[in-house]
Amino acid sequence: MSLNSSLKIDKKILLENLEKTIQKYDLIALKKKGENYLYDYIQKSKEIIFKYHPTVLSPKKFFFPKEEVLFEYTADGEVTPKSETKPTILFGIRPCDVNGIHILNEAFAESKGDPNYLAKKENSLVIGLDCEKLCDENAFCYRVKSQNSTKGADLFLHDLGLEFALTIITDKGKKFAQEYLQSSPGSEQALTKYQAAKKKSFSLVAPFRDLDKLPEIFSKNQNHVIWKEKGSKCLSCGSCIMVCPTCYCFDVADEFALNLQKGERLRRWDACMLSSFAEVAGGENFRDKAENRLKHRLNRKFNYLMKKHGQAVCVGCGRCVRACLADINPKLIVKVLTGEQE
Amino acid sequence: MCKELKLKNKDENLYIPEKARIVEIKTFTEKEKFFKLELVSQKSLGHVPGQFVQLSILGIGEAPISISSPPSSDHFFDLCVRAVGNVTNKLHTLKVGDEIFIRGPFGHGFDDQILAKMQGKHLLFIAGGIGYVPLRSLINKVLKSPQKYQKISILYGCKTPKERMYQDELTKIKAMGSNIEFLETVDHADTDWTGNQGVITTLIPKVKFDPAKTIAVIVGPPIMYKFVLISLMEKDIPKKNIYMSLERRMKCGVGKCGHCQMDGVYVCQEGPVFNYEDVYQKEEVL
Repeated sequence: MSLNSSLKIDKKILLENLEKTIQKYDLIALKKKGENYLYDYIQKSKEIIFKYHPTVLSPKKFFFPKEEVLFEYTADGEVTPKSETKPTILFGIRPCDVNGIHILNEAFAESKGDPNYLAKKENSLVIGLDCEKLCDENAFCYRVKSQNSTKGADLFLHDLGLEFALTIITDKGKKFAQEYLQSSPGSEQALTKYQAAKKKSFSLVAPFRDLDKLPEIFSKNQNHVIWKEKGSKCLSCGSCIMVCPTCYCFDVADEFALNLQKGERLRRWDACMLSSFAEVAGGENFRDKAENRLKHRLNRKFNYLMKKHGQAVCVGCGRCVRACLADINPKLIVKVLTGEQE
Repeated sequence: MCKELKLKNKDENLYIPEKARIVEIKTFTEKEKFFKLELVSQKSLGHVPGQFVQLSILGIGEAPISISSPPSSDHFFDLCVRAVGNVTNKLHTLKVGDEIFIRGPFGHGFDDQILAKMQGKHLLFIAGGIGYVPLRSLINKVLKSPQKYQKISILYGCKTPKERMYQDELTKIKAMGSNIEFLETVDHADTDWTGNQGVITTLIPKVKFDPAKTIAVIVGPPIMYKFVLISLMEKDIPKKNIYMSLERRMKCGVGKCGHCQMDGVYVCQEGPVFNYEDVYQKEEVL
């Protein structure tokens, strides 16, 4: 654990301080809207929900929105890059999603770097919040070892009841904590006790067998019958991708304003599970079967991109399992490929 | 409160295209037109054969297009475009002097290493239909110094005589003689056609080559690759001596949008030019 792990902050003070940040920052946290829980903008700190309830969408939507303008142009051909960002705090982000943010940070920073994503990221602060236990039966963070992920956050909190243990992850987080959080030295013991309890609650579950060898296992099983079996059920609706914290495929489209004097080039979420994703202009489709698309998506998570990122690119949040209308569960597919018993 | 994107100039933003002007248009076929373009900045495009650009028409969109001219130090370059989608159909309505937008060049083309490997070898170019377009960039480059190669054979196949492109240029190539040979065929002849008839693989037996000293470069539709590769394997050309260029619908050109990913490979980064040895075991190539 970090040297800074023995900081603490009183819950009431934290809420007061968070509310103060709203003057300068957009504050985003888990809140309830109707019957649903979601990450959304907070006006009053009392709106924040501390007990985790799985959300449909991940916090990725704040860095990589479902639609954003890449640049604006005029009918005369004047092009202006556009990426307006506001200082933003993402509060209470759980380990799986913190890990998801870390993976997207890497993906968008790669090679030349994606200006729009990086600008949003640079202008924001991520405060993680630990999960003491599994959030529901669909989550499988422990399978990919992301239940303790802190990389991707700037600060990380552990709920100790009346107070939080605070861990500083980045310099940016440190600066923010000094300016806003009024933390004080806490007892190492309290955090150790929390972590022991968490470890115990996760002790009945285990990571995927041969987790580190998944790329190899996936490569060897490109013709496994599971792809046909599960792929034949897939409705190619793309829901799994919309809800995934680490899917970042996109489409690019132009839109002209009604007055035809100006327009925008937009990027929108796209989905490799949709049937037309790999189609080219002449009509040839390089991935025209649902089973191949399913195989492709899971190979991105556990093979192709896993090799690049050095960790599974599925964070085990369980959102795709909850969203899938055809009951396709990546956890079960991986277990079949590794030959693991339930 | 709002913070503008911190970019010193547009060059740093990989999504911002630059202006190019149409300087010449030729109509090749019913669907294919040739466009000579210049970058308005008067900079050289700086490409290698086999690379592509993202061509955009503001308000319509962006499409990946192969560069058809050989590398050059001036600011001109050629594209030959089939009208099949929104962007390409709109492009076909434009006139000389009109401006469009370009990003790139992108991808891995026939780099210095491949060109060095080609020296002293028999080059066997096999182009199907519009596949001649990306190949022309390389062909015109090697034709600048044909003496560097043992022999240059160009095989060109189209569905019908009407679909043949670059006819003036090809007539000249045919007449260059010495170590340059040009053969063409059409799948379906018309009454005026007196040349070869049949699919492109029927031309392969007409070329004499030593498989170990031959480098084949194939560009065409997926179905053509399958049959051409079988023919070349039968002739014992080693896999490492075969290059191919693959078509995908790239949306970004920089390995992010995911559209061109083939097995684990981003075609826009590692391709579109591939050595057959490197991809023959991949499932999603063709």
